[in-house]
Amino acid sequence: MALPLLPTTVVGSYSMPGWLERLKTEFYARRISRRDLDEIHDTAVKAAIKDQELAGVDVISDGELRRDNMIDYFAERLPGVQIDHTSKKFHYDFYDSKVLGKLPMGPLGLVDDVKFLRANTDRETRFCVTGPHSLAKRIRNEYYPSEQDFALDLARVMNPELRAIAKAGANIIQIDEPNYSGFPDDLPWAVKALNALIEGVDAKMAVHICYGNRYGKPSWEGSYRYLLPGILEAKVQQLTLEFARRGGEDLEIFRELPPRFEVGIGVIDVKTQAVETPDQVAERIRKALEVIPAERLFILPDCGLLHLSRDVAFAKLTAMVEGTRVVRKELKH
Amino acid sequence: MILQLNYLQGKPAASTTQEVVDTLYSLLEEGRLEQEQFARMRVHLDWIQYRKNFRECVMTTKVKRDPYGQPSPLEMYIDLRQLTPATLRAEILRAMTGEDSPAPGHDRVFLEDLRSFRESITWKFNNLYWHRLADWEEFTGRGYEQALPGGKSDANHPAAVADCVADFWTLLRDLESRKQLPEEIFVLEIGVGMGKRAGLWMDRFRALDEERGTKYYQRLKFLLGDYSLATLDRSRPAVKNHLNVCSFIVLDALNPMKSLAFLRHKILHIHLTNVYDNLPDEEFARRDGRLYSIQVRAYLPALQAHRISEEFQIPPADIPKTVDRLLEGGPDYLVDRKRGVAFWQEIWRALRLEERLVHLEDLPDIVLPIGLHQEQLEEVLEEAPSDVRFHMSSGALESFQNTVPLLHPRGFLQVQDIFVTNFDEYRIGFHGPGKLDGSIVNWVNGALLREVGERAGYDLHFAPFHYRQGSRTSVLYSTQRE
Repeated sequence: MALPLLPTTVVGSYSMPGWLERLKTEFYARRISRRDLDEIHDTAVKAAIKDQELAGVDVISDGELRRDNMIDYFAERLPGVQIDHTSKKFHYDFYDSKVLGKLPMGPLGLVDDVKFLRANTDRETRFCVTGPHSLAKRIRNEYYPSEQDFALDLARVMNPELRAIAKAGANIIQIDEPNYSGFPDDLPWAVKALNALIEGVDAKMAVHICYGNRYGKPSWEGSYRYLLPGILEAKVQQLTLEFARRGGEDLEIFRELPPRFEVGIGVIDVKTQAVETPDQVAERIRKALEVIPAERLFILPDCGLLHLSRDVAFAKLTAMVEGTRVVRKELKH
Repeated sequence: MILQLNYLQGKPAASTTQEVVDTLYSLLEEGRLEQEQFARMRVHLDWIQYRKNFRECVMTTKVKRDPYGQPSPLEMYIDLRQLTPATLRAEILRAMTGEDSPAPGHDRVFLEDLRSFRESITWKFNNLYWHRLADWEEFTGRGYEQALPGGKSDANHPAAVADCVADFWTLLRDLESRKQLPEEIFVLEIGVGMGKRAGLWMDRFRALDEERGTKYYQRLKFLLGDYSLATLDRSRPAVKNHLNVCSFIVLDALNPMKSLAFLRHKILHIHLTNVYDNLPDEEFARRDGRLYSIQVRAYLPALQAHRISEEFQIPPADIPKTVDRLLEGGPDYLVDRKRGVAFWQEIWRALRLEERLVHLEDLPDIVLPIGLHQEQLEEVLEEAPSDVRFHMSSGALESFQNTVPLLHPRGFLQVQDIFVTNFDEYRIGFHGPGKLDGSIVNWVNGALLREVGERAGYDLHFAPFHYRQGSRTSVLYSTQRE
């Protein structure tokens, strides 16, 4: 299915319902079984897919509702990562996880998630994977000589999984790297690890770089100026960035971005429950169009919608789609 | 009967306890107390550290009729500090019958209907106090800080302020080393009062900055926040040497975001002293595994109402109306201000709260403070004593929830206040409400605040205020929850 001009998409997560949080906690307390939890997850993911379709989003995700958080879902699947399963109070807390030896190769089991998404929608799909820099910052390294070595090895182990995800039909694979903004000096080696991760993957590759969204609040503040020129080495086709909350000042930085890069601009502030109007969205898109041509622009929220209530998340996506339609019409005339 | 001895003091309390038990038994024997009532009774003996509070020396708390016909607790609260042995029997009988005075026509004067404490008229008195503080102080001849225990605020302790500045300077240094220090360094103090702490803080910060040569002071934007311009004006002299870096902002401590939304995620340090303990609050009680909301009704005891009526030439039936007008228009309403303030202070001194327990099932629309979910409350209560009466600290929770979005991702919040950090503490002392001059004071439920903090992405730590011996204050520090 051909995408319209200014395709709308999401960054990954959809609103995590309170009841799902409670059921996840029930699972950790061993009051419901793995099988029941899987069924609950399937149902929640189908609902998230349907909501995105109803809102009119062009490229949708599975809402990441199976995931406790952006680290543990991968740390638990990575062979060789040791997890202290008693180390967290809430499901969204991080486990205390560590590596004590060289990571062995092995499947991560993410392909089933992609297949489930593909089976439940005929829209184009976006599948998100936490990148090696962010994983290396959180999983305690007690083996590799440096974080850089650890991140590069994570990329080596995860690369076959990404190839399989692409084969399973994910149209866009997004690598989430919010920690770039917290550790700008790491960018040269972080981009190397990113390139190692996506080498040979047959899908459109995006990297999402925001200022963090833990507990619905930023983890850092600053300017995207640090991204240049380092990010130009990244072999991705799309950068997705946070602009709605931070304002458009940084947009100017991307005026000289080589044409090979598309830009996904955040037009929805995910750190407030206040819902944008379509007019506000349209205005943010117009501002972006002054810097980046429409053919290279994707429209999305600043980050995942995880911390918003379901009605707010849905209303925000609807406003995003309506605001985008307004600008599309203007561009046609 | 369950006899619960809370925080009591010394031998007199012990002997009075004995007299309370003897008196209740004698009432039982005389048939003035039924066996079934006696068996369901919970008698709480307290030594209320607030000499001025909302309780008569003996108070019974009624229970709204249970729709399921379950036997309900009958609560009696006795303040051993107020009680004298000679009047004990009469006070217990008065509290049980609800009859204040043997003289006909002398009844309690109610100022409102039963409702949650946070919606009570008492908070309007609290607001009036802060808005007309100058009038109150002029009449009493002393400043509000003199009403504090010890006569001064812990907020202004130089060593505490110096440590806070040192922590803040270290944070700035760290951010600078990571190239993440913002151009403008925003600091906010909510509830600045006379501005003494703000002045001390900036003096110290400038001195440290000059000593270390870091040039942070010139980037400083210090925001002084309080509820009215009149209060903020009172703080100006204390910060006169720093006016070029100060902004004075009228804000509601319950929702600072309303005035400061443009600074969301930008403020590096926020401080509050003795603000949370003065925000609207409500109480709950768990009895026999069931959770009750405690509703209150403000009233004037018969004798005091009669005295006020005579002194101000206002018929008792007109007192509620006159109080409403006082709270709406201030003390000027009563012809001359002096007389108005006198009336205000007399009413406040006499004001008491009647209580009623209402089972939560009867309050399906009850709204928990924002940020606190039902399941969190249940989780916290699982760890709490099975029979406990506690503060919800609704205002403090709301304020916290509406303040932290202002914090820079690496910024921190510091709150000096009186905290209950563990539900067990509710069993061993009285934590409010008390009257502090014309305002209300309640200890803050730190245990619930900690829960709300975790969900908002902050770990909250409570440390005793070790800068002054005997201080009841604690300091809440926030750290990022990863």
